[in-house]
Amino acid sequence: MSVIQQVTRDEWRFWHRTKLAATIIIIGTLLTLVSGVVNTLEMQHASHEREHLQQSAQAQFLEQPDRHPHRMVHYGHYVFRTPSALSIIEPGVDAFTGTSIFLEGHKQNTAMFADQRQASGMTRFSSLTPSFLLQVLVPLFIILIGYASVTREKEAGTLNIMITQGINVWHLLLGKYFALVSSGLLMLLPLIVAAVWASINGESALITSSFVAGYILYILVWCGIVLAVSAVNQKNSASFAILVSLWIVLCILLPRIGSSSAAAIAPSPSKLEADFAVKAELRKLGDGHDASDPAFEQLKKNLLTKYNVDKVEDLPINFRGTVAQYSENKLTEILNQFAEKRMQEELEQAYIARQFGWLTPTTAIRSFSMLIAGTSLETHHRFLREAEKLRFDFVQSLNKVHQDNLSYEADANRNKNADATKAARVDAANWQVLSEFSFKPDTAQTRLLRSAIYALQLLFWCGLIVLLLRFAVRRIS
Amino acid sequence: MSVFSNINREARFLVKQRYFFALLTIVLLLSVFSVWSGISETNTQLSTIERLQQKDAIDRANVLAKQSDYGSAAYYSFHLTYSAPSAMAFAAMGQRDIYPWKHRIRMLALEGQIYETDSDNPELSFLGRFDFAFLISVLLPLFVILLLHDLRSAEREAGRYDLLIATASKQQRLWLSRASVLCAALAIALLLPFVIGAIIMQAPLVSTLQVIAVTLGHILFWMLLTLWFTASKVAVKQSSAQIASVLLAVWLGVAVLVPVVSDIAIDEMVQSPNGGEIVLTQREGVNDAWDLPFADTWAPFIATHPQWKNNTEMSSQFEWKWYYAFQQVGDQKAAALSTAYRDATLEKNNLAQRFAYISPPMLAQKLLSSIAETDTLAAMKYEQKVRDYHQALRLFYYPLLFGAAELNEAQNNKTKVKKVAFDAKALSKLPSFSTFKNTIHTAKENI
Repeated sequence: MSVIQQVTRDEWRFWHRTKLAATIIIIGTLLTLVSGVVNTLEMQHASHEREHLQQSAQAQFLEQPDRHPHRMVHYGHYVFRTPSALSIIEPGVDAFTGTSIFLEGHKQNTAMFADQRQASGMTRFSSLTPSFLLQVLVPLFIILIGYASVTREKEAGTLNIMITQGINVWHLLLGKYFALVSSGLLMLLPLIVAAVWASINGESALITSSFVAGYILYILVWCGIVLAVSAVNQKNSASFAILVSLWIVLCILLPRIGSSSAAAIAPSPSKLEADFAVKAELRKLGDGHDASDPAFEQLKKNLLTKYNVDKVEDLPINFRGTVAQYSENKLTEILNQFAEKRMQEELEQAYIARQFGWLTPTTAIRSFSMLIAGTSLETHHRFLREAEKLRFDFVQSLNKVHQDNLSYEADANRNKNADATKAARVDAANWQVLSEFSFKPDTAQTRLLRSAIYALQLLFWCGLIVLLLRFAVRRIS
Repeated sequence: MSVFSNINREARFLVKQRYFFALLTIVLLLSVFSVWSGISETNTQLSTIERLQQKDAIDRANVLAKQSDYGSAAYYSFHLTYSAPSAMAFAAMGQRDIYPWKHRIRMLALEGQIYETDSDNPELSFLGRFDFAFLISVLLPLFVILLLHDLRSAEREAGRYDLLIATASKQQRLWLSRASVLCAALAIALLLPFVIGAIIMQAPLVSTLQVIAVTLGHILFWMLLTLWFTASKVAVKQSSAQIASVLLAVWLGVAVLVPVVSDIAIDEMVQSPNGGEIVLTQREGVNDAWDLPFADTWAPFIATHPQWKNNTEMSSQFEWKWYYAFQQVGDQKAAALSTAYRDATLEKNNLAQRFAYISPPMLAQKLLSSIAETDTLAAMKYEQKVRDYHQALRLFYYPLLFGAAELNEAQNNKTKVKKVAFDAKALSKLPSFSTFKNTIHTAKENI
């Protein structure tokens, strides 16, 4: 054990002396620290802004004057998605999905105003998020620090001396490994602080600790790759060239190739295109604005028999409101069916891209990190579903008000003159039907379950590293 | 003569380098993949547009056949607008996955429709695509560094350095020709698949040459930088790996740090209204109109459309002309915010263009997406075209809704305006987006 410690200490002493490694460690740690702080401030700002917009949208809805209830259906409502606690480290798809949706009757709108649309376009490759630094740049830093850890000893001839002195090669490599890992963990320190901060702000401790654990595994994997390559090569320059090439392939190329392949293998029709199919289905339903549409004949007959009257005018309820309710219900069923299909297609694409986690640890940690942080596609889909639920609820409640609180006669004559228009209104107190919207990320359990397979990918990489190191040890001895 | 013999010797020397060929093969494969995925994406977009055009035409014909007045015709009929990828788009997909390139709009207030985005899968956008522009802008410097960083130090480490210097007539020329041969091979590996792709896609010759020029320029920049550094006094004492580390740090600086810092700076420099405010303003404008006296809608409408001032009379509590007038007024109310929003986007883009001059990778990327017409500017142009087209729809429907012919007749005969008669044939002259040209230059001021 003391041999391992000795090697670790020597390695640190060497870095201290050569300055290069020390500089890289300091730069890496500072970079993650700065990005952590900047991102935390940005996310808090976004979070406050969206909460504020949500409240003002709610207040505006409630402040609307007396109106025809259907006017409120079209007046609609806005919902905003507040970012999750861990998005200070891993903003995930947040910048690429819209963060607000306009909710109105008869339609499911898409999310609007994605941040990237208003950005300068400079951050398509790199971004100052802790996740980008940790997933892409920290491996490069580890390479720069450790590419020569074994080849250096070979070039100087000290490795042979140590082996002839009877030092165990495993001990030697483990000592160097721990040194490398400790430098990687230093750069991870800001992430750990941020994770603690997220815990204080209400994120479950189980989530934040798995989050940190995932990144530690990732650091372990890269340190292992660096050490193994350095151990099997004879020269510093060869070890360096191979490691940098590996970094390009694993950190930059494969994740993008994954994304391009997913788009090419499983192309998903655009929403615009699917909308034609939706429209064709909807046309069969009849227009909910027009109570005399033949599509509602059956509904009318049933109601007339139920209340035992001859004309819709004699019904105790407003038939136009009933039709609005009935058709909104049918229409939403169809809309949801298509929306679910679309989400499924998007998920399938994402799954293909995520399978590249078996080929590169970077994709594995990225999927793991997004899912645990609750900033993945799944969370965005849940936002869409919850927004849709809210939309359906308030639209139907307004339609119910339309049915129960507004007489059929006043409703039918509303365009006759100014007084008739006034008579066809209901009290603003009815607008209280709107329920409050506050979006919370998935529960800790759901997120952990979802990310399990990507944790497995990371563990697979750890296993691979152990095999690689064993191979390296055999090569040396 | 001596230059040629130098190059000849270097070329023969290279054939024996295994590492060099491995790298070149990888580069070639990457280039092939990037071009292939770019072509496949372009074809998908083109066929999507084609299908949409057909479905759109059928859908509109169906809808219009059922209408019996111009107001409903305008209300129920959507119009497809799109921006087809250029022949060069396969090389640089640019911002097309973020900005919409297809919309279906109708004659309602435009501000409520234009921000709807039918965007790509956000997770794939987040991961980023692997296109030719990415290969050229971000990865190319790394290839050059990998190829050239040990130009001198490898010879030094192999103990051949002094011998080489002695046999070469001029030292500078030796390194320059060796680097040129290496980079020429790299350029061929990168550009060959691209040129084939350009021929397949029938890209214009000028833009193909432009892309080649950008590629060669970017290679040249990194080649000279690497040569300069390896020749400097600092590098003499350093090992290959140390030299490469310094060059990598330079790459990190210009490819990662400069863009990130300039992004933050640009955000600070340009104030942009929140997009949400535009749609909220527009919504309030449109919805309030239902409860306001008619005059409140007519006043701002007539201010911009004085030709209809004699025909604002309302015969019922609802008339389509009034309905579309308050849609127009809603747009007018949001116009200032909307213009500010677009100006901010343009301003940010201009600044980014300027900041790109200190980052060759960003510059290469901006140039490529500008050649391919897939940059922010192209997206803004498309948006403006949609706005102009929407304006053309309004100009088409207003005379029908307000009754231009009837108004004329009434004025001549000094009688009251008759009700506007519906004639389905009039709708056959609806402006179509595919043949639409930006003829309304004043559209921006009008909206």
